[in-house]
Amino acid sequence: MSMLDVFRAPPTEIPDPLIPGEVAIVATGVSVELGGKRVLNSVDLSVMAGEVLALVGPNGAGKSTLLAALAGDLELESGQIELSGRPLHQWRAQELALRRAVLLQQIQLSFPFNVLEVVQMGRAPWSNTAASLHDDELITAAMAATDISDFAQRRFSHLSGGEKARVALSRILAQDTAVLMLDEPTAALDLRHQELVLQVARARAAAGRAVVVVLHDLNLAAGYADKVAVLEKGQLAALGTPEEVLTEEILSRVYQHGIDVMAHPVTGRTIIFPRR
Amino acid sequence: MSTKTSTNTTESAAAQLEISKPPKPRKAPKKSRGRAKDRLILGVLSAALAITAIIAAGTGQLHIAPVEVIGSILHGINNWLQGWLDYFGTGLSAPFGGAPLPEHPRGYETLWSVRFPRVALAMIVGAALACSGTVMQGVFGNPLAEPAVVGVSSGAAVGASTAIVTGLATHGNWVVAIFAFMGGLITTLLVYSLSRSKGRTEVVTLVLTGIAVNAFTFAMIAFYTYVADPNARDQLIFWQLGSLNGTSWISVLSVLPLLVAGLVMAFSAAGKLDLLALGERSARHLGVNVERLRMRMIITVALLVGAGVAFTGIVSFVGLVVPHLIRIIAGPGHKLLLPASALGGALLVLLADLGARTLVTYSDLPLGMLTALIGGPFFFWLLRRTRNEQGGWA
Repeated sequence: MSMLDVFRAPPTEIPDPLIPGEVAIVATGVSVELGGKRVLNSVDLSVMAGEVLALVGPNGAGKSTLLAALAGDLELESGQIELSGRPLHQWRAQELALRRAVLLQQIQLSFPFNVLEVVQMGRAPWSNTAASLHDDELITAAMAATDISDFAQRRFSHLSGGEKARVALSRILAQDTAVLMLDEPTAALDLRHQELVLQVARARAAAGRAVVVVLHDLNLAAGYADKVAVLEKGQLAALGTPEEVLTEEILSRVYQHGIDVMAHPVTGRTIIFPRR
Repeated sequence: MSTKTSTNTTESAAAQLEISKPPKPRKAPKKSRGRAKDRLILGVLSAALAITAIIAAGTGQLHIAPVEVIGSILHGINNWLQGWLDYFGTGLSAPFGGAPLPEHPRGYETLWSVRFPRVALAMIVGAALACSGTVMQGVFGNPLAEPAVVGVSSGAAVGASTAIVTGLATHGNWVVAIFAFMGGLITTLLVYSLSRSKGRTEVVTLVLTGIAVNAFTFAMIAFYTYVADPNARDQLIFWQLGSLNGTSWISVLSVLPLLVAGLVMAFSAAGKLDLLALGERSARHLGVNVERLRMRMIITVALLVGAGVAFTGIVSFVGLVVPHLIRIIAGPGHKLLLPASALGGALLVLLADLGARTLVTYSDLPLGMLTALIGGPFFFWLLRRTRNEQGGWA
């Protein structure tokens, strides 16, 4: 297809990596309305490189909406979101794709691509840059990290829900961006793979990436997040380290259910358990 | 299968990702092998198309041997070259003067004025329809989208009939082609905006939209048939049947630009169509400007359907059958699927037209009728399979 190169966009500039502690995304006073209903109400939040930020809260609290807003998918009613100091809507789709990757809750695929082809799609934004030289390495590493190397040639549509979720995550990892946004990446997974996914998220943060992850399991948030944002009815109810935020008082109020927070008898780690 | 590994390997796998140079891949993605397979598929299809074209050109009431067909092509090129050589007064003679000519005295004439334009238009129509089906399926995210099923073909036919009935067609055949393109464009936009909700098109919505659009466009054609003078009426009836009978070089040259423009636009978007399979949001997250891609692909579909319908009428199901079969052998990646579908479509329509004019002696069956006879049951089978896979009419 080399004769079609004329129609391609000029080479894209590769973004500089973030320095750990650098602010990747800042949201100020973000409000979002969906179908006439206010689902996010003046939320202030910043996402920092080298950190895993967990978004938790009951159903309908606005976790996924906040993630979609941070990804640049939604029109804001008011407020502003900046990525690397520039408002989200001023970035082109192509420029955003080099800077943040998004794992959606619902995974779809219209045609019978195999697993390897799906993961390769994660490299598409880089196809015009020098970074495409590392495509194969990054794809192999992303597949190993999500434990899917064994079924690279299998059809995506023939996989189980949990396997599909890992392939989708693998594609997001192959995209190799400074910011990762994961909407409930553990929902369909067994225990071992839930731990695996959050270990991957941790490893990415340790390497200086910024990770935002929507989680339902508060124990996973307590175990893996550097910071936790608790959402309640579209508002930020609490923001801080897991120790500061995941307390009996805050959680019992937000979830409207008695919740015990205690230390594990052997490891001393935080355990969160609903009262029965 | 995955629980057999211990937690330790899990952790090391997670850590592996951040090592600057990952260990040698166990299963490296083999691109070179993929490319060779691509070339093989395209090569086989091209060869099959060339051979079929030569045989098709030689078949009919006047039989001409393949060697003589090739010889006639060379002679045609030779005469054209000679014309230019003489025009510039070079005094040279063109190289293919010695090629064998048909034994029959009218053989050469028959080939160049009747058979070759018909074979050429069959290939153009097939390539255009198959490619438009592929693009449409990619944009709708639905393997059942097809120009005739969703009514875009009949929309283009309404455009072409408008040109005929209003007498605008007397300005030249290209007017028909442009009107076919416009009709296709309006219908594609209409179907697209009517059949989508929340970024995807469900099978039921798509098929029902097609029924509604087809009902309306066929009523338009029926109205035109009613008001038209007898001469135009004959032409209109032929739209509804679909036929390559009486193809001229002017028709071929009128639709060729539409085909070329449509193919170039489709091929240049191949990678983005792949990403669209992940859904519009995920495609956007991977850097695709979805709104712009959508508009470009709607224009592409209209160009291709315009080329496929303008002088042939409605030839249905080519855009459904061909991409589906090609996906089975070539996989769903559009970089190979689009060119392979173009070749496969050209081959299919060429064969169908060969059947249309040879199955019953001394008669020229409507091409659209033949493709629908095969395509209708195929569509039904595909519908049932889709329903079984999705567990309902989703």
